[in-house]
Amino acid sequence: MALLDKLQIRWSLIPAIAAIGAILLVLSGLAIGVYDEQTYRAQKVREATAQGEILAATVTAALAFDDRPAAQEYVEALRVNSQVVSAGVYNEAGALVADYARDPGRHADPTVALHPPAFVGSHLVVVTPVSEAGQRLGLVALRIDTDPIARRLSRYVGLGLLLVMALLVVGVLAAAHAVLTRTNSDLADANRNLQEEMHERERAESALRQSQRMEAMGQLTGGVAHDFNNILMIASSGLDLMERTDKPERRKMLIDGMRQAVDRGASLTRQLLAFSRRTSLRPEVIDVTAQLEGMRLLLDRSLGEDISVIVDLPPDLWRVHVDPSEFELAILNLAVNARDAMPGGGAITISGSNRPAGSDATLPGDHLVLRVADTGSGMTPETLSRVFEPFFTTKAVGKGTGLGLSQVYGFSRASGGDVRIQSEVGRGSTILLLLPRTEEPLPLVTPDPSPVTRPPGAQGDLLLVEDDEGVATLVSGMLTELGYNVTRVDCAAGAVAALEANPAFDIVFSDLVMPGEMDGIALAREIGRRWPSLPVLLTTGFSPGVAAAAAEGLTLLTKPYGIGALAAALDAARPN
Amino acid sequence: MKWAPVVLSAAVLALTTVGAAGAAGSLEAPVKATYLYKLVPFVEWPAGAFASPTQPVVLCLLGGDPFGAVLDQAVRGQKIGARAIVVHRLAKAEKATGCHVLYLSAPRALGAAEALQSAHGAPVLTVTDQAAGAGAVVNFVLRENRVRFTIDSRAAAENGLTISSKLLSLALDARAGR
Repeated sequence: MALLDKLQIRWSLIPAIAAIGAILLVLSGLAIGVYDEQTYRAQKVREATAQGEILAATVTAALAFDDRPAAQEYVEALRVNSQVVSAGVYNEAGALVADYARDPGRHADPTVALHPPAFVGSHLVVVTPVSEAGQRLGLVALRIDTDPIARRLSRYVGLGLLLVMALLVVGVLAAAHAVLTRTNSDLADANRNLQEEMHERERAESALRQSQRMEAMGQLTGGVAHDFNNILMIASSGLDLMERTDKPERRKMLIDGMRQAVDRGASLTRQLLAFSRRTSLRPEVIDVTAQLEGMRLLLDRSLGEDISVIVDLPPDLWRVHVDPSEFELAILNLAVNARDAMPGGGAITISGSNRPAGSDATLPGDHLVLRVADTGSGMTPETLSRVFEPFFTTKAVGKGTGLGLSQVYGFSRASGGDVRIQSEVGRGSTILLLLPRTEEPLPLVTPDPSPVTRPPGAQGDLLLVEDDEGVATLVSGMLTELGYNVTRVDCAAGAVAALEANPAFDIVFSDLVMPGEMDGIALAREIGRRWPSLPVLLTTGFSPGVAAAAAEGLTLLTKPYGIGALAAALDAARPN
Repeated sequence: MKWAPVVLSAAVLALTTVGAAGAAGSLEAPVKATYLYKLVPFVEWPAGAFASPTQPVVLCLLGGDPFGAVLDQAVRGQKIGARAIVVHRLAKAEKATGCHVLYLSAPRALGAAEALQSAHGAPVLTVTDQAAGAGAVVNFVLRENRVRFTIDSRAAAENGLTISSKLLSLALDARAGR
């Protein structure tokens, strides 16, 4: 960029340089002309003076002894020099003794006085004294032709022509520069517009993705609410039954049942949150089997009780390089579509296979094929031809926006793959998702830590900042289990006061969203400033806080969490 | 006005010619007087002829003075290089020593021949009105009513004089047919 700027500056100097160059050219042309003219005149004077001196030297005796014929003879000798217009020999008194004139009928001036060489009209007049051994004898005058002004000017025609050419080149250069500058600025404008449009488009695409996600979420809400009712039902009835029994085995069974239900609910909300989080496209290498396993619960629970989901994947399925959230959305969209095609219930089968290169002419390279098949109503050929169009839907108003399959199509194309549909009215539909294979390894995943019970106080002193009494009690219990001496405060200001009273804590574990002037992030900032060696772990169930904490570079544990995840997060937050 | 220079030149020419034509009597002597000193710049004397660079040129007249005051007036103020010209009128040939130019106005006069003889071999420019061959270096002659001269190169050489070629080219015998 710096080089470009320099070039720009140099470019902007060109008109000035061109103008200065043109002026210099004209000035130097004039100077050369004037110098040449001076040189020419000086040369002419030298020649004429020499000629005059020769004549003066030869006519001395003729003048001394008044030998006019001899003088005439000498002066006539000048005939050989065609440039001599006239020549005169004058005696001491300045009277003409002998003369010669080139043109017939002309004569030299009858009298003459000594004067320096002078240009008279187109002639140069030189008067030379005649003397012998210091004795003054007379004068000699020569009138020499100089080149006419036209002929002298013609000598500069070449120079003038060069000058004109140079000026022309300078002019053309300046004009070209002007055009270039204009073109440059036009290009810059076009580039700016393009950038703006690209930015605009990016925003629109991002908004589209989010709305597609929300659309799918909307489709799932009913099922999820139903599932949560079931979970709450289990918990509520389990609590009722526990109140009525004292048998430990019975209570143990009830607690296990409730724990399973709560785990399922937590897992469900985590998947929902992860799914609805606004993310930009970030492809990574994924294992399709694991990815589908991760959303298994969501699929099972959200589609309705009369829909069964069968996942049938071979163990050696190839890896693909796609954006995981878009992949999940595509699967969800396909599942929702399949469910809607089976109002009376049925089965959705998700199967997969490897398709090596060469088996499909339109897709070069190895591909993984995912089939999502239903046992529903199928589609007519007319519907089939329009299913990938955005906003095309056969569903009733309020049931769907028609963005589902267009997301599937967009995702597969963006990932370098393709999507195909096999459908027949009355015999169900099968959608084939083709994704290109990748040879890259899977990203390393840290194994889920198992909870460890440690002796009380072994892990040091922990400052817990939590405003909710109920949560604080439960978390304190877990922390004590993990071997921490827990001191609890209910706000960030309280935490600062506690640290001022006793800075010897080993770690601070704080909620992100708290009442009061400081929230968890502000507290972490304050601690980082005043007690820089003290580690801080934040926790929240509120998804916008995740991005905020990440932007600050803070460690964050998302709610709900189990004791194993808590232990791992605390260990990770501490230096060793 | 174009004719003016021509007419003027013609008039001057005519005057001179007329003057020269009538010179036989009245103008011959002044012309010769002028020529006498005008010869000096064209002649080179041998080393030793002059004692110093500023020593005047001595112009001697022997056998009478045909010029009178004319010659004195002509040479007054004239300089040949750094030398002035002085005129000596000699009564006897014996006194010719010390002269650089010796004019014998009456060659047939008594002692003139002897004087010429004695000057032979000496660094003296001898001038006479005689015909050539009498032994003088320069002889004035009248030709077409004009005063011209002949130069005896051999005599000049014998006297150790070097005559400028410019002068030689004007001499009558040097220019055949004139």
